[in-house]
Amino acid sequence: MFSYCFPLLCLFYNLWKIFDRRRHQNCYILDYECYKPSDDKKLSTRFCGEVIRRNKQLGLNEYKFLLKAIVSSGIGEDTYGPRMVLEGREMSPTLEDAIIEMDDFFLDTIDKLFNKTGISPSEIDVLVVNISMLAIVPSLSSRIIHHYKMREDIKVYNLTGMGCSASPIAINIVQNIFKTQRNVQALIVTSESLSLGWYTGKDRSMILTNCLFRSGGCAILLTNKVALKEKAMFKLKCLVRTHHGAKDESYDCCKQKEDDQGYEGVHLGKNLPKAATRAFVDNLKEIAPKILPVRELLRFTLLTLIRKMTQKYNKTGAAARPVINFKTGIDHFCLHTGGKAVIDAVAQNLNLSEYDIEPARMTLHRFGNTSASSIWYVLAYMQAKKRLKKGNKVFMISFGAGFKCNSCLWEVMRDLDQDGNVWKEFINSYPPKTIDNPFFEKYGWINEEDPDTFHIPDDYVIP
Amino acid sequence: MLPKYVKLGYRYLVDHILTFLFIPIMAAVSIQILRLGPEEILTIWNSLQFYFFQILCSSFLVTLIATVYFMSKPRSIYLVDYACYKPPITSRVPFSTFMEHSRLILKDNPKSVEFQMRILERSGLGEETSLPPAIHYIPPNPTMEAARGEAEAVIFSAIDSLMQKTRIKPKDIDILIVNCSLFSPTPSLSAMVVNKYRLRSNIKSFNLSGMGCSAGLISIDLARDLLQVHPNSNALVVSTEIITPNYYQGSERAMLLPNCLFRVGSAAILLSNKRGDRNRAKYKLVHVVRTHKGADDKAYKCVYEQEDPQGKVGINLSKDLMIIAGEALKSNITTIGPLVLPASEQLLFLFTLIGRKIFNSKWKPYIPDFKQAFEHFCIHAGGRAVIDELQKNLQLSAEHVEASRMTLHRFGNTSSSSLWYELSYIEAKGRMKKGDRIWQIAFGSGFKCNSAVWKCNRRIKTPTDGPWQDCINRYPVHIPEIVKL
Repeated sequence: MFSYCFPLLCLFYNLWKIFDRRRHQNCYILDYECYKPSDDKKLSTRFCGEVIRRNKQLGLNEYKFLLKAIVSSGIGEDTYGPRMVLEGREMSPTLEDAIIEMDDFFLDTIDKLFNKTGISPSEIDVLVVNISMLAIVPSLSSRIIHHYKMREDIKVYNLTGMGCSASPIAINIVQNIFKTQRNVQALIVTSESLSLGWYTGKDRSMILTNCLFRSGGCAILLTNKVALKEKAMFKLKCLVRTHHGAKDESYDCCKQKEDDQGYEGVHLGKNLPKAATRAFVDNLKEIAPKILPVRELLRFTLLTLIRKMTQKYNKTGAAARPVINFKTGIDHFCLHTGGKAVIDAVAQNLNLSEYDIEPARMTLHRFGNTSASSIWYVLAYMQAKKRLKKGNKVFMISFGAGFKCNSCLWEVMRDLDQDGNVWKEFINSYPPKTIDNPFFEKYGWINEEDPDTFHIPDDYVIP
Repeated sequence: MLPKYVKLGYRYLVDHILTFLFIPIMAAVSIQILRLGPEEILTIWNSLQFYFFQILCSSFLVTLIATVYFMSKPRSIYLVDYACYKPPITSRVPFSTFMEHSRLILKDNPKSVEFQMRILERSGLGEETSLPPAIHYIPPNPTMEAARGEAEAVIFSAIDSLMQKTRIKPKDIDILIVNCSLFSPTPSLSAMVVNKYRLRSNIKSFNLSGMGCSAGLISIDLARDLLQVHPNSNALVVSTEIITPNYYQGSERAMLLPNCLFRVGSAAILLSNKRGDRNRAKYKLVHVVRTHKGADDKAYKCVYEQEDPQGKVGINLSKDLMIIAGEALKSNITTIGPLVLPASEQLLFLFTLIGRKIFNSKWKPYIPDFKQAFEHFCIHAGGRAVIDELQKNLQLSAEHVEASRMTLHRFGNTSSSSLWYELSYIEAKGRMKKGDRIWQIAFGSGFKCNSAVWKCNRRIKTPTDGPWQDCINRYPVHIPEIVKL
């Protein structure tokens, strides 16, 4: 009898080990904190006009183009810019400016996050920093380790160049580490450096980035400790990455390069929307089976089959294409705020209502395109509006240079209320009655001007 | 102090202690059995009642346990092969070229020129190191196009060479990690690789930067974590440093130092956890240990990118670099020691530690003999002083650090890829045998000290291609303390 007990016990022990390992492999978000720059960094309409006027390279045609771009951008009056623009030095930024910009963000947001969660920096086991446009030595991740005196055996990764879709990539790294080690706490810091990337030439495709990108960032604390499950906000259900870099049109549509005069900037090609849609569709094709309930998938498959068969026999009348209803598996949508056109296109593709895209639209309006951290601001808006209830599914999707489309699905672990959120002070005034850009009101007269007679005197002061 | 044979005897005893305990027990058991005699053994055997069903159950259970146990073990990571970039002869920078450039560019600062000459004389570099084409212009012409051009040349060349060696198709690559410290365009260099080789759209790509000369091992660490989670996959790791945008064009002396040392280089490595690659892989990854000293102010600031008073950007190397490197190494050794040292060394270390604490703190701290744990050492060719310091700290012989010194001489400081040039040197010299253990140590800004331990998986034939192919017969060369210019 005993000779059977022992091997059975061994077997049960091994099986329990495997099951226990699965339990410890979940990726939980403990808390996150978005960066709200100080009010002296706000870019008002008047100030934007001033910045444009300061750039002697731009002429009337460029002004008209900029007016059109800014009016249709969906960006409001309260977005934040880097300090060096506000101090009038955007033509000659220095490395110091870039570092100060990053320090402003780190010292504000990461401190708040540590205070909020009560976790000390020496408990962090993994640090992933993604700031696309700045690569310095020592890396920004070392800068954070140095400032917070983190441990020597910390696993640190500094990602750069991965564009606006870098947040899910950072989460991917953390997710993988969680699967191999137990009781790990990770800190992800994501932001964008605008100082050294500010374009000072007059190429239209490159000047667009100045109009869209704004200062912002987010610090997220994650863990796979089962003991902290009760305190967690979100649990990661799945993550899918799609990389279309193999296609030349996708790779070239968002590229950092020098213009004809030698000024460096990020070129946004005309086929960017098409490349984005293609990557988006591919990504959805891969993630849909993983997140949608079976009956929705069955319904869609059946309808597609029926449509194919009726098309074969009845070539004239074509039934409307069946559309997958993503809302059966997803309750909230965190869309990357790439621009008004991007949000509209995604909303149309996914058949979303105004209520669904309100968080993204409002984030674009209030904070602009903060690159990789934008989806966290959208999430913070939903939380501030008390939309997130236990069991809800939140879908995050972002696009970036490369061309990449990355998405992930989170499950809300408990009813979340506002407490200490970046939207706290002004959430009640959102959504505002109108999000029309005041740029048109102020500068619409430019459209009437004739290029031959147009001249702005040097001492012209914008009212 | 102790006679050599005593030390040898002790080492042999402790390392093989289990064998020494096992033999007497086996001997005792076999003597007992022999004493019983054959008939008694047969009767005992027959008295044990075996039912067919019981045997079946037991064997079933045993196989099940074995399967479950083996499935839950962490996967082994193998290095299938690697390839290093060999710069063309046209881009080489002998001392005379370098000094001529320096004199022309810094004609208003003769002191800086002289400083560069003194550094070059003592640097340990040879006459065949390379700089990218943009830097050969007078004055250098570091546009973004030129930087991208250099990146394409070095990275694609290394990857092409790797694909030829391993016969892997681009569509089979599952993970891509590119690390380049100081050049980070949008889209990233990893996107550039995806574009050129038409890699799959569900590839997991990562682009690490800013992590200095130790970034190669950080990429290996990331690849290892990813390969633990994804079964049956392979990972392509590309380590490089792009010199074009980072050539310092000012005249501050401390910032001119990197210009004298950093040179063009890159390496592409293929890692795999597939069962099928087990036999053809060259090395198996045993450990990766990372140490980050960023919490200490001095360590953090010792390799620092900043602007000089004229606004030109360059990297400032502080004078305390060697001391900090030594300390970072000590921390790293404290972690890696218990993992790799044989039992004899660990016991000695423990005894001296106890002895110092309890008896007399004047006892000299025992530095474990790492030559017992490793056959080959690949020390990042950061500069002559780094190699000297490590040779002293680890008590290594000249042959152990030969690979590092010769890499520094032939290729200069190629940053994160230098470890792979050194490994290639050891293979080219035919010194790598199956079962050999290799220790790769790299230091980087931050201040980080990372090390990786590899074990040679199969017999490695002396390679007929590779960066050392045409010059290995001239090596090792004697590098004088000062080369008079």
